[in-house]
Amino acid sequence: MTEVKKTYKNYVNGKFVRSESGKVYSVNLKNEKFEIPLTSKKDLRDAVTHSKEGFKHWNKLTMYNRSQILYRLSEMIEGNKDSYISLLHQHGLSKNESKKDVENAINTIVWYSGIVDKWEQLTGNLNPVAGEYFNISHQEPIGVTFSLSSNKVSLNHLVKSFLPAMSVGCSVISFTDENAILALKLSEDINNSDFPSGSINFITGNFGNIVEDVGGHVEVKLVAIYSDITNEFIKTLSERGADSVKRIFNKPAVDGLASILPFIETKTVWHPKGK
Amino acid sequence: MSLNNAIKDKQLEWSSVMDIVNNVRVDELGVIERTSSLATRSIKREAKLDALKRIVTMCDLTTLEGEDTEGKIVQMSSKAMSPDPGDPDVPSAAAVCVYPALVSTAKKVVKNSNVNVASVSSYFPSGQAPLESKISDTKFAISEGADEIDIVINRKAFFEGDYRKVYDEIYSLKEVCGNTHLKTILEIGELKTFENIKKASVLALCAGSDFIKTSTGKISNGSSREACLVMCRTVREFESFGFGKKGIKVAGGIRDAKDAIRYLVIVNEELGDEWLSSKYFRFGASSLLDDVLKQIKKLKTNAYQSSYYFPRG
Repeated sequence: MTEVKKTYKNYVNGKFVRSESGKVYSVNLKNEKFEIPLTSKKDLRDAVTHSKEGFKHWNKLTMYNRSQILYRLSEMIEGNKDSYISLLHQHGLSKNESKKDVENAINTIVWYSGIVDKWEQLTGNLNPVAGEYFNISHQEPIGVTFSLSSNKVSLNHLVKSFLPAMSVGCSVISFTDENAILALKLSEDINNSDFPSGSINFITGNFGNIVEDVGGHVEVKLVAIYSDITNEFIKTLSERGADSVKRIFNKPAVDGLASILPFIETKTVWHPKGK
Repeated sequence: MSLNNAIKDKQLEWSSVMDIVNNVRVDELGVIERTSSLATRSIKREAKLDALKRIVTMCDLTTLEGEDTEGKIVQMSSKAMSPDPGDPDVPSAAAVCVYPALVSTAKKVVKNSNVNVASVSSYFPSGQAPLESKISDTKFAISEGADEIDIVINRKAFFEGDYRKVYDEIYSLKEVCGNTHLKTILEIGELKTFENIKKASVLALCAGSDFIKTSTGKISNGSSREACLVMCRTVREFESFGFGKKGIKVAGGIRDAKDAIRYLVIVNEELGDEWLSSKYFRFGASSLLDDVLKQIKKLKTNAYQSSYYFPRG
């Protein structure tokens, strides 16, 4: 029987798409070589446009519903556990390490699906003021975020690069380079988990090709770097992002409540106390 | 009978108009092919910047909602005068397009600028009213200070085959308008076929319209590039037989700069660059302008923009 090979594609706006440039780059695994999309500036632009819409849809859902969708992702991965393990193994991890990594990833997703309807109680608060007012710190997701995922071969690290933003209601453009196959495989389960189109997008390629546009794009409100990148890139991001006051976080926390703090914005609300 | 034979001493008899209308033929596949091949033209950098700025000057910034208030019109009119206050290089829009009751409000704001006030009339968008009402609607808009009038053709009469009525109504309204610019909306989404679009274009042009316009923007099938091409060709024939230059306004569903540039390509290729000015070509739009402003800034700063940073209106 003929063996059918899979063509991995970018995942943007709930669709699997090739790069508009038609360009690809190679990722070599143990026994196989894959050609995957080399994201161009225009692909990034399209991803941001869709991500902006995705943010509206994702953020409109109730926290309860968002939590269920994230939990469903863990169910999907659980169902396809073996294929993830074998893919990680192909990347050079031992069978044991691979299994452990997938289990950790599932645990991470379950944790974040739990925090979705609880974080605001934990991070927001009622502030003491000298007057007959309530002064409340109300918190909101920041909007469209760009995440450069870790270059460590790990499903757990990969999910940790977009779950903090997703769990508070941001939409995410997740960019991967060396771990691209893993991310694109994950996008298939994401696609089966009821995420609104555009709320989470996966694009792959060479970060250097798009770093200027990531920094410059006014609609991208935040850039989170979970990978090791050069100071040159950080400088470019900061300079290009200055006009739109973009938040740039190099290696933000990846565990616990601290991991979600970069992705929220605080609004202070004053309200008179009734008598 | 061709348009050429019909025109004797630059006078169009109704019988000649009827002959032309009855003999309209359009090569549907040819139109679609030509339109899609023109859509592949690549307009970059300086040419793109020039096109974008032209689009701004061709924009009729429009709001035609039941919820329109004076405040909203003032805001939109100010935006038409200086679409991007942060960049003096960006020209003003061609006109603001409002309902008759709000013409005087818009006029007060734009009176010292080169922005015109256009008003829809003749019982826009359906046109389902007696001619007397349409005339008084139009007279009111003009008395309030409208520089341009957008009317709708009588689609009821058109589909009943009463072309004479369609023609007469436009003719009467042009008489009311006098020197006031008259744009006639064909509502191509309802006409559906290219032949109907061409017939309606001929009727509107022969009856004295200064512009023919694609749509009201009130039905889901708005403008299409194919319809624009058919209309361009009608305008070209009309001009080539000595009846002067007429304009085209496309409206309804044109939301991004890329699409707008494709319209410009069609006009340039079918009619020539003389038509690439607000005198002969307009975009009726509400959200298009924002995208054009974003693209202009993108070209200048090389950073993709958000409409958040431009004036609302």
